[in-house]
Amino acid sequence: MRILLVEDEKKLSELVARALRQESYAVDVADDGTRGWELAETYDYDLIVLDLMLPGIPGEELLRRVRRRNQQVPILILTARDATQEKVSNFEAGADDYLTKPFAFAELVMRVKALLRRGPVARASVLRVADLELDRLTQQVRRAGKRIELTPKEYALLEYLASSPGRVFSRTMIIEHVWDQSFEGLTNIVDVYVRHLRAKVDDPFPLKLIRTVRGVGYGLGAAPDA
Amino acid sequence: MNARSLSFRLVAWYAGVLTAVFVLLGLLTFFFLRHYLEANLLDNQTRRARQIAGTLVAHVRRDSEASMASEVESLYSPQINDRFIRISRADGQVVYASGAPRDEAFDPARVAPLAGDFFQSSTRKVSLPGGVLLIAAVPATGSDGTLYRVEVGTSGAQAEDTLAQVLLMLAVGLPVAVAVAIAGGFVLVRRALEPVERMALKAEEITQHSLSERLPVVESGDELERLSVSLNHMIARLEDAIRGSKQFVADASHELRTPLTVMRGELESLVQNGRLERDVREALGSVLEEVGRLGEIVESLFALSRLDAGETSGGWQRLDLAELAATTAGQMSLLATDKEISLSCDSAAAVTVEGDRARLKQVIVNLLDNAIKYTPRGGHIALSVRREGAWAVLEVTDDGIGIPPDALPHVFKRFFRADSSRSREPGGAGLGLSIVKSICQAHGAEVEVRSAAGKGSTFRVRHPLATEAARS
Repeated sequence: MRILLVEDEKKLSELVARALRQESYAVDVADDGTRGWELAETYDYDLIVLDLMLPGIPGEELLRRVRRRNQQVPILILTARDATQEKVSNFEAGADDYLTKPFAFAELVMRVKALLRRGPVARASVLRVADLELDRLTQQVRRAGKRIELTPKEYALLEYLASSPGRVFSRTMIIEHVWDQSFEGLTNIVDVYVRHLRAKVDDPFPLKLIRTVRGVGYGLGAAPDA
Repeated sequence: MNARSLSFRLVAWYAGVLTAVFVLLGLLTFFFLRHYLEANLLDNQTRRARQIAGTLVAHVRRDSEASMASEVESLYSPQINDRFIRISRADGQVVYASGAPRDEAFDPARVAPLAGDFFQSSTRKVSLPGGVLLIAAVPATGSDGTLYRVEVGTSGAQAEDTLAQVLLMLAVGLPVAVAVAIAGGFVLVRRALEPVERMALKAEEITQHSLSERLPVVESGDELERLSVSLNHMIARLEDAIRGSKQFVADASHELRTPLTVMRGELESLVQNGRLERDVREALGSVLEEVGRLGEIVESLFALSRLDAGETSGGWQRLDLAELAATTAGQMSLLATDKEISLSCDSAAAVTVEGDRARLKQVIVNLLDNAIKYTPRGGHIALSVRREGAWAVLEVTDDGIGIPPDALPHVFKRFFRADSSRSREPGGAGLGLSIVKSICQAHGAEVEVRSAAGKGSTFRVRHPLATEAARS
């Protein structure tokens, strides 16, 4: 999988490239719009990550040109502006997803993955993390064979964490996926739910599955590199 | 009418000055006229006295005094002409004295003889019962050298009548003239100040959010036109300054995002790096928390600057505020339960408003979050939505620590905290309530707070009902 990253902030582009390469993607970096267009014209990318504020060809223009040339390639927009009107016009111009700075890198990786496996992907109906089992159809949770009763919100939170075991999700990501935009900034609600979830899912068992990474967020299951 | 208003003061001054001028003019006229009339009468008397002295007395001898007297009588008939004539010798002997006039306006017998220099012409006023007598005295010499004095006088009643009429005219005319002047002055001042009134009304309408509006310019070419033009220039400069500061906040929060993203990315990968010592990762995690907080502040500032710019997020729609409040309270109930706070929501009937759903939800979330933060364990929070006339009223009441009175006027200001120890919980940047206020303003709603320290606070949002709902 080859990804084109067009981002003029050098440090940011290095970080994004590193995060994507860690996921075993091949990443080409262009640091202005003109170079980005050259690369996009020359190679067939599986995905383009595009900053909107670019020297040379502006991001919006690049977006339109790429879309004219290639209808299929998914495009993920990075921007420091998040006015809704702008968002809408960029989706109309052919953007597939939109991330507003400052974003969590875990979020970026998740979205890239989601865009790359778009289409009818068979989702497993049962998620398993260690001895924890989530049935997506019945929304039932069992641990070590014992049924655990969860409220719908608790279930949604657990399912989100279980969707990518080992990964750490930021509170903002959790808020955006499990709650809605108007809870933005009220990340303490996540802490409360995680505590409740822990009481039901972890406390009765010796192996603790829900992990807190200070300053980052929560994850389910052991960290891949720890 | 307001006694301190400019028009009142102008008219009062104007009327005062005008009255003073009229009174002065009236007095001058009166005294001048009186002087003129008397002088005129006395002149006539002197002339007549000289005539008598020159034509009759000059030919008289001591023995013909009686015939002269009858001549004076027949020539001047003083009784008929209401005149006083007296001819006396230097030794005081009266040669001729006229009798009482027909109308008996005065009694000539009561006119005292004139003392003083016998050779000097003089005039005098003699007050008698029944009126004033104006008398001129002239010396004369008979043909035999005898010295005489001729006195001719007339009643001042006629002059006094004239003066009385003038006085009456002034007494009646002056107030009328002043009244007309005040009325005229009032109309003039009103007309002159009317543009000022219009400018004031318009200026009151212009707020931070309608700075693009301007005052009406009076095209009169006078000071008021200059004033309105100057004020409009000032508003334009104000608009520029405010736009500039808003733009600055937008630009600044925008510029801060990229470095924040980089910091966050670097720190996130470090925190999850298993090769680092645990305490190093803890410290980095703490830094990361602060970066997160910084990010939230930047987000809030950006949200505020967008609200200031009048941008809407998802467009307006009709929505049921009661339903929105109930849903939001349900979503947030866990936060309250977690602190053993009872959260009740009283929103039975539908209350339809028009607005931006996400933003209005933000208002409820921020108010509830605030209430939960400042209510101790075991407290109560009540959320209610109801109609009040043409308004939807949303209230969040808690029995928490309340807000000290001196802090109350500032709670909606940006970055304000009632006291620094009060809120050190993560996520509190002192922007939540100012966001509430900005959203309310963008919706034409008002938000106010009542509070008693130690007893709790009530935040009250008055939002206009949707138009159809308002009619029903």
